[in-house]
Amino acid sequence: MKYFEDVAVGETTRFGRYAVTREEIVEYARQFDPQPFHLDEEAARASMFGGLIASGWHTGAMFIRMVCDSMIPDAATSGAMGFDDLKWLRPVRPGDVLTVESEVREKVEGRRPDRGIVKIESRISNQRGEVVMSLVSLVIYLRRPPVASSGSPSTGS
Amino acid sequence: MKYWEDFKVGESTDLGSHSITEAEILAFARKYDPQPFHTDPEAARRSIFGGLIASGWHTCALLMRLSVEAARREEAAATGSPGLDSCRWLKPVRPGDTLAARTEVLETWPSKTKPIGFVRRRVEMVNQHGEVVVAIVGLTMYRRRPEASAATA
Repeated sequence: MKYFEDVAVGETTRFGRYAVTREEIVEYARQFDPQPFHLDEEAARASMFGGLIASGWHTGAMFIRMVCDSMIPDAATSGAMGFDDLKWLRPVRPGDVLTVESEVREKVEGRRPDRGIVKIESRISNQRGEVVMSLVSLVIYLRRPPVASSGSPSTGS
Repeated sequence: MKYWEDFKVGESTDLGSHSITEAEILAFARKYDPQPFHTDPEAARRSIFGGLIASGWHTCALLMRLSVEAARREEAAATGSPGLDSCRWLKPVRPGDTLAARTEVLETWPSKTKPIGFVRRRVEMVNQHGEVVVAIVGLTMYRRRPEASAATA
């Protein structure tokens, strides 16, 4: 399990593979972002985007799914406070395959002694290597629980 | 039609509200954010949250839904968003919560190259206890009033 103490600034990880389908773009948009260029191929073709594109918030949801599948199982995290500096850089279209590259930017000691905040910059790219979205997440990492008294030094914390 | 020129700094608007159900929380989380405190009521009870809470990305999605509906009501000439300065999930969102959304204009400026303008706004959702659960500061682009862009062209 990876705790706050184990996270190193500068550390980079590549993970995830999310195949974007037309059905899912439309389904998300119907529920949360019902604008014509997310819902209707015909209307989208006539728009400035020239075709159906995913809601930017949908790209965010696909990002967190990749994080859940790849990063969270081994990390002692307890959710996130939010994020900074989110950029929607390029449209996400049906048939795109997304991946993530994350880099630890900063560790911040919290007010609470049992956890800290890790600022992680993530870039989500498509199959052509174009970055479609980037953001800096403020992830809550738990600290390594104290070893029961007189624990051997080899348990290291 | 509401164009870029019609947004005034300090102006605030109610965007409507949404009551969130446990079924909605589970459906979103199982698809996009399968962490136990979002997908498993029993595991959530034992977590630091003391019960099931919505994914922060779900809360943002609901805020987007209310924003899109409000923009449609006022016929805003919105052309999308290049990004957000910040988003903070300040309080947990739980089944049965009623979330009211509102927005305030912080800053406006015209594009130097295109017939659009930018609006920096704060958007937030408040629960039935008056607590802000999510606060976002971000940019939205709007088309300029046709006469105005013609006059300055």
